[in-house]
Amino acid sequence: MDYSFSQLFLIAAGYLFLLFLVAWVTDRGLLPARLVRHPAVYVFSLMVYASSWAIYGSVGYAHGFGFNFLAYFLGISGVFLLAPILLAPILRLTSTYQLASLADLFAFRYRSRLAGALTTLMMLVGMLPLLSLQIKAVAESIQVLSGEPDAGGLALWYCLLVTLFAILFGARHSTTRGKHEGLVVAIAAESLIKVTAFVAITLIGLFSVFGGPVGLNEWLNTNPEALERLYQPLQDGTWHSLILAFFVSAVVMPHMFHMAFTENLNPRALMTASWGMPLLLLIMAFCVPIILWSAIAGEVDQAPDYFTLGVGALGGETGAMLAYLAGLTGASGMLIVATLALSSMTLNHLVLPIRRPRQDEGLYRFLLWVRRLLIAAILAMGYLLYTATSEQHSLTELGVLSFVATLQFVPGLIGALFWPGANRKGFFAGLFVGFSIWSLGLLVPMLGQREQALFFLELLGLQAHAPTTQWHYVAIGSMALNGVAFSLVSLFTSTSQEEINTAETCAVDSLRRPFRWELDARSVPDFQQSLTAPLGPVTAEREVQQAQRDLGLASTETRPYALRRLRDQVETNLSGLLGPSVAHQIVEDHLPYRPQEGGSSEDIQFIESRLEQYRNRLSGLAAELDTLRRFHRQTLLELPMGVVSLGTDGEIIGWNLAMERLTGISSRRTIGSRFDTLPEPWSSVLGDFAAADVDRIPQRETRLEGQTHWFSLHKSRVQGLVPGERSGGLVMLIEDVTDLRLLEARLAHSERLASIGRLAAGVAHEIGNPVTAIACLAQNMDRHSDRDEMEESAGQIIEQTRRINRIVESLVTFSHSGGTSPIQGPVSIHDTVEEAIKLLRLDPDRKRQRFDNLTRPEHLAQGDPQRLLQVFINLLGNASDACDNEAPVTVGSDADEQSLEIRVEDRGHGIPPELMHSLFEPFATSKAPGRGTGLGLALVYSIIEDHFGSIRVESPLNDHGGTRFVITLPRYRGSN
Amino acid sequence: MYADRLLIIFILGTYLLSPAIIEWWSEGGQAWYRPYLIWLGLIALSYWITKSRDLDGL
Repeated sequence: MDYSFSQLFLIAAGYLFLLFLVAWVTDRGLLPARLVRHPAVYVFSLMVYASSWAIYGSVGYAHGFGFNFLAYFLGISGVFLLAPILLAPILRLTSTYQLASLADLFAFRYRSRLAGALTTLMMLVGMLPLLSLQIKAVAESIQVLSGEPDAGGLALWYCLLVTLFAILFGARHSTTRGKHEGLVVAIAAESLIKVTAFVAITLIGLFSVFGGPVGLNEWLNTNPEALERLYQPLQDGTWHSLILAFFVSAVVMPHMFHMAFTENLNPRALMTASWGMPLLLLIMAFCVPIILWSAIAGEVDQAPDYFTLGVGALGGETGAMLAYLAGLTGASGMLIVATLALSSMTLNHLVLPIRRPRQDEGLYRFLLWVRRLLIAAILAMGYLLYTATSEQHSLTELGVLSFVATLQFVPGLIGALFWPGANRKGFFAGLFVGFSIWSLGLLVPMLGQREQALFFLELLGLQAHAPTTQWHYVAIGSMALNGVAFSLVSLFTSTSQEEINTAETCAVDSLRRPFRWELDARSVPDFQQSLTAPLGPVTAEREVQQAQRDLGLASTETRPYALRRLRDQVETNLSGLLGPSVAHQIVEDHLPYRPQEGGSSEDIQFIESRLEQYRNRLSGLAAELDTLRRFHRQTLLELPMGVVSLGTDGEIIGWNLAMERLTGISSRRTIGSRFDTLPEPWSSVLGDFAAADVDRIPQRETRLEGQTHWFSLHKSRVQGLVPGERSGGLVMLIEDVTDLRLLEARLAHSERLASIGRLAAGVAHEIGNPVTAIACLAQNMDRHSDRDEMEESAGQIIEQTRRINRIVESLVTFSHSGGTSPIQGPVSIHDTVEEAIKLLRLDPDRKRQRFDNLTRPEHLAQGDPQRLLQVFINLLGNASDACDNEAPVTVGSDADEQSLEIRVEDRGHGIPPELMHSLFEPFATSKAPGRGTGLGLALVYSIIEDHFGSIRVESPLNDHGGTRFVITLPRYRGSN
Repeated sequence: MYADRLLIIFILGTYLLSPAIIEWWSEGGQAWYRPYLIWLGLIALSYWITKSRDLDGL
């Protein structure tokens, strides 16, 4: 083939420049967002998986190991087919906590910097063979095409080129936090070229060698051994290890993790990838045997690893160029993405924990330059490994070495996602065992130190094997022992509380019950102040503002709940910048929680918001329970009465819709705050009631927008959710009873007017007597000549007039009483009862009932005399109506320090049992129709409640009936 | 959640039982592209499931 090295190098440079252009155009926003975020772009970007091994190595592998090559394509297809249950939880976790790599995930889950550092270190060691494989593939493909003898020199040039582009692609910005849309689109474009070129080469082979599918079939019929050679190696036992290695590679390989999770622009695209990615892989896998058979039948004169190039060349220059481009795209994409991912991991887990930039150094600039240096260093290491091993080992050997190394992260990953009991000690033990066996079984023998390795492995009962022969024993053995060590150590060692909390966060089906702690920082400026020390003033301000923007919080925010979310968001964002270990350390040190006595209460909102996120993943009993939860929540939310619930620390954790309507304050504003941050009058109405000793205030008068309102307030302690747990807080019910109160006042007034109507005849009679007396006296005055007699008559007239006045005054006062005035001063119960008796006697329809007022004149109640008068008129009137004998109605009183007890007792027929429970409700009456309104006792009850008193009834008192009303009222305690 | 766990056990079971599948496959004698057809069937199934699944959780 007649290409010069410089031609091929220029093609590589031109191709990479083209990719860079795609990335640049995307980053500039010149491509429509719909296209950039299209699921197909994501699916193609995932095809970074198909590295140069898929293009060259897989055909060579099929030649040597038959259909086993399919494991490379089938393994990862399997994991994508199961994406909704295997990959979606990881995506959710990584996007929620800004975890950019597997090392981030482990450092976060196992709450250990060391876990991140070890993962990074081992990932570097494990991935270097795969990097060197790419370099080798490109260098050798150039060598094949150009005939250049020095592949090493070609490789060096290629590495320099890739380093430059990797920096241009991924290290132009300092943070991995934002998504690199340009990179994603460029890699997707690259994959499109790769798959198209691979299919084109297959077609070239199919048509130039066999003349089409029919020819291929005929060739296979005449050469059955070609097919047989594909089937034969399936029995050699490597299939399982291969499938497993490629199955997990979607998550553990840093470039796959980076494209699938870190650079995911559209979470729903993962669902498209669940069938799209297997489809693309199927297309590529279908091409492999055709290329192999074309090479065999076409007698291509190449090493099996480069059959693809040979078959491409059958189609002339264009074909050869397509094959070269396919390999180049596979290698470059993988190298760029893997190097970027590894550099971020190294920066976050190996560099930053050791050296953080000084305050004046400029954090972003520091990060940028360190990342660039790391990219160069990682590619340099890949190159060095390539030069050290290129002569002796095939592409397949290098690939296997890498894939088996990454298998060692599988137990830790399964533990992180599915086993909350796993701990960091188990993780370290497993990694140590797994990597030791991998190193001794595969790495050391490959590096030519076979004898030393052999000794140790034989001690473990394993044999050191060359990577391509019985390597699967090492793969399965290392992973199994890794898993055993991980499980045993996790089971038999203690786990820190912090780790348990994160374990529950990570576990797929676990909902942790987070606790609410109060932060030292009380406001957003406090946050900036606290973070200035580790980050410098500019970065601190920028990061806090970014977190605020992410959460949509105002700068004036002081709610404890919101500040906790802000702290989490700052940690999450810093995690994207500095890695989770360093971010966690900074936030722990500089935004600490305040030590709290007696523990803290659960963060209900957080649990709720997580449940909402999980909603669609619940099935079976969990889904039923969730429906039930939603029903109860909705009931509470839409209850026509205001409901406020408080945590033990006084934070508002519930504020329903009626409360929003009542106060005009949205739940979004109140949740997580305390009463003292609410506007007046709510701050004092709710705050005073929460602090008060009473559980009920029937009518709390409040001025609201210039008008008087009455609210009925109730509260109750909530028991802890778990038996034995301390109190879970307080729930308060608030009802606007203004309408009821006004209605009551109107009713009371009507009742009084009705009474006055009934009294009118009696009044006329009562007034008639003194008027007759006055008339007689006035008539007789004519006849009196004596001055003394005159004076006596005048005195009597005046006396009679006063009597009339008293009667009239009583009536007027009664008719005007019953306003909504607050409780007034001392009320003599004795005088009030006397007055009531007097008024009742004015009623001509009423029989001449005897009333015995046995109350003590010194018993004074705190209250409104006119309203209490109404109480006694109603009670005594009822008592009198109930009596059909001569027995008197008695009123007695007792007192203790705080209260008065007044008993109104009759010897009447008693109250029917069926009426007892509704006695104080409006319109409940035992009287005949037309005799009573049924409002009297309801009014009595309401007045007594307003006086913070109580009323109860006992009936019958004995076999003959009898009823006793017992009223308790607060005693008047002097002017205070 | 329980469904997911069951599915994981099912996958593990399939993986462990795969020698039988391999044996059937390596017997030869059928069209070489048969495994690809089964694979395609799985992809179609996955497409259908994804289509009908409520994806609000993502």
